[in-house]
Amino acid sequence: MTGVIEISAVTKTFPGVRALDDVSISLAAGEIHALIGENGAGKSTLIKIITGVHLPDRGEMRLDGVPVVFRSPHEAIGAGIGAVHQERNLVPRFTVAENICLDRLPTRHGLIDNRSIVADAERWLKTMGLALDPRQPVRELSVAQMQLVEIAKALSLRSRVLLLDEPTASITPHEADLLFDILRDLKARGVAILFVSHRLEEVLSLCDRVTVLRDGRNTAVSQPFAGLGRSDLVRLMIGRDEDAGSARNAVATEGAPVLELKGLSTAAGHRNLNLRLHAGEILGLYGLIGCGRSELAKAIIGIIPVTGGEVSVAGKPARIGSVAEALAKYKIGYVSEDRKGEGVVLDHSISANIGVTVWQRLARGILHYLSRARETKTVRPFAEKLQIRAPSLAVLVGKLSGGNQQKVSVAKWLVAGTEILILDEPTVGIDVRTKAALHELIRELADRGTAILLISSDMPEIVALADRIEVMNGFQIVGRLENSHAYADVSRQIMDAIHGAADQPQMAASIATGRTETAGETRGRMMS
Amino acid sequence: MIPEPLKRLALADNVGLATILVVAVAALAIANPAFLTSFNLYVVLTSLALWTCVALAQMTTLAIGQMTLSLGSLGGLVAVTVGGLCEVWGVPLPLAIAIALLVGLAGGLLNGVLIAASGVNSFIITLATFSAFHGLTLGLTRAIPFYNMPAALKALGNARYGAIPLMLGIVLVVAVAVHIVFTRTRLGRHMLAYGGNPQAALLSGLSTARIVIAAHGLSGLLAAIAAILTVGRLQVAQPTIGEDWLIVSFAAPIIGGASLTGGHVSVPGTLLALALLAIINDALVLLGVDPFWVQVVLGGLILAVVGANRLREGHRLGEAVAR
Repeated sequence: MTGVIEISAVTKTFPGVRALDDVSISLAAGEIHALIGENGAGKSTLIKIITGVHLPDRGEMRLDGVPVVFRSPHEAIGAGIGAVHQERNLVPRFTVAENICLDRLPTRHGLIDNRSIVADAERWLKTMGLALDPRQPVRELSVAQMQLVEIAKALSLRSRVLLLDEPTASITPHEADLLFDILRDLKARGVAILFVSHRLEEVLSLCDRVTVLRDGRNTAVSQPFAGLGRSDLVRLMIGRDEDAGSARNAVATEGAPVLELKGLSTAAGHRNLNLRLHAGEILGLYGLIGCGRSELAKAIIGIIPVTGGEVSVAGKPARIGSVAEALAKYKIGYVSEDRKGEGVVLDHSISANIGVTVWQRLARGILHYLSRARETKTVRPFAEKLQIRAPSLAVLVGKLSGGNQQKVSVAKWLVAGTEILILDEPTVGIDVRTKAALHELIRELADRGTAILLISSDMPEIVALADRIEVMNGFQIVGRLENSHAYADVSRQIMDAIHGAADQPQMAASIATGRTETAGETRGRMMS
Repeated sequence: MIPEPLKRLALADNVGLATILVVAVAALAIANPAFLTSFNLYVVLTSLALWTCVALAQMTTLAIGQMTLSLGSLGGLVAVTVGGLCEVWGVPLPLAIAIALLVGLAGGLLNGVLIAASGVNSFIITLATFSAFHGLTLGLTRAIPFYNMPAALKALGNARYGAIPLMLGIVLVVAVAVHIVFTRTRLGRHMLAYGGNPQAALLSGLSTARIVIAAHGLSGLLAAIAAILTVGRLQVAQPTIGEDWLIVSFAAPIIGGASLTGGHVSVPGTLLALALLAIINDALVLLGVDPFWVQVVLGGLILAVVGANRLREGHRLGEAVAR
């Protein structure tokens, strides 16, 4: 099969890293082509070469059989190549319509023709089944809505080649199904589609052929799916079978909880929320993005104001006004879902990142002198326990892989002697192998007595790890179940809990909770 | 059509400033009747007109999330260019003005090209060109002003219709043009898109180098207009013109609601801020306050407005979380 785009033997080196080594791929018209691999395998780099963001060091790209070189995204878009990148690709203050039409703002007499921008954008929103106001500024949208707008923007280029880098990362299964229908339709019309996803189930049901990358090299080149199963894909990606994960002993949850929320209301919009967390327990908090999970965590550690009810730690009412207080007084740590933005300082060393929580304790004398040796000595056992892979603790965190960065952001709470650990999407964007190691680590922590609140929208993760599961939707707990670890059964119960809540009239619910800005969100959720 | 939420926001941004302005004018008119005399209003409006293009020049670089420290020294270079061309070379005034504008444009474009080509922060590049332009000005003139300016240029800076200076009309036309550039032209929207999210601008297929160069070019051109008007006003082409521009160039756009990280600027807001600064300055003079205190008040005002914006954004954050 000759492809619309053929990449042969492309190599790309960044300072210190060979991101792509002799990689090939061929995209044919009218196919959906999966590109899979662990994090850091080179998927995004390959996409950025096709879209002209990076120039390859060696190798060739052909468009319709003719060799081409794209020196900028502008040239690639001109050649009919559209992409949804992993990075946020929207201008927050601009409207939905302006964002969609940004590269080709239509003008009349030299001035921008806003009416035709809105009309154009409306068409693409409709194609996507999105009931969004094209005049709304993007910064007022939810993360999922932004993702959908980015997809609409890529579609609006009407490109012959469409590259989608993790388009389903932050949207609901329902919205993903809608996207898949659109992709199948585009495929029927002859568009060549490259689809990147960590969710192998999606890939298997949607795609025609697959290219697999491992450590910047091909382990499969444009191979048809016939005869390939999930486990084959995993083996191609990581070079061995997936870990099953060890079983955990049952945890006694009868005793007094170490953390309890009684009728908690917050400034973020939670109302009358109850929750109990015991020592040595992993409590799963499942919910889709935008349901109020992270906001609940931030209310517990004192970032978002508590407006009613009570947080009690070890049986005593706690008034937590800041993260410093949560840590020093109540031994509560929070590992943010936004690893790079809130979890670690990329330009600082591993030991400084881990040690930051105990600098207060390590400082000596009236000048609060901080000895690097003492810091390293304190930090080292934790770095070793978490198996952070680096030549030394002086290495900058920015040089580590995503999985190792995440270990650093966990380690800094362990070193501080945290007894209650809130993990917010601890494995988002982390490859299969490191994910298994992190899961093992979380189990170990709980076995040693740490109470863990695991926030995740990754259903297999919750089912694999949690002892009990709380299901959250629309800032409410809508379900509470014991985890039998039987995936099919538990996942159905969780989805039932969410849909049961969604079936209730949303407007009435939002009025009752006093939230004002839910109309858009409700529309988004009900856009079927 | 302007989207409703945006309209509300823009209104809210400017309504606060406009209210303060009205209150300030009313209070001054009551406290000192001299404020409302035609001559005093002329003084206030002249100061507003002189600063407008200075503030718009900085605002243009703020729009793309950058800054220019060389604004004032470029202004000095333009001032001695127009002075030298008229006095030493006897070039006709319109041609001299055209060449001076080109010098400003070229200086701005140079900043833009250096920033776009090197990828070095605009602070560092314009710190370097600040020094270079300043040195060039002093080297060319040996720090001696040009005194014999054409009558037409002097008239440009001093003609008035009652309380209204001619210069005010000129700068208002410029301000409207800049406003249209940022709200209704492709180039202006692309500048704001780049300021709001440079990565998005790049990945959307915009030519980011061109955007950066264009913004600095426009900034240089506006600085040149400010410099020429200042020469007309002072009736002398001094090499020191532009030395006091820096603080106001940042203060007015920021008080007027511009985001320091780029992506949002407001011409009406900047004009209101300038008017407020001009009136405060005038008030302190009328009330016989030591001129040095004017600087303190300016500093206090910047802090107050930035603090108020911070509170407002905190409020917005709360709302965003509640969604």
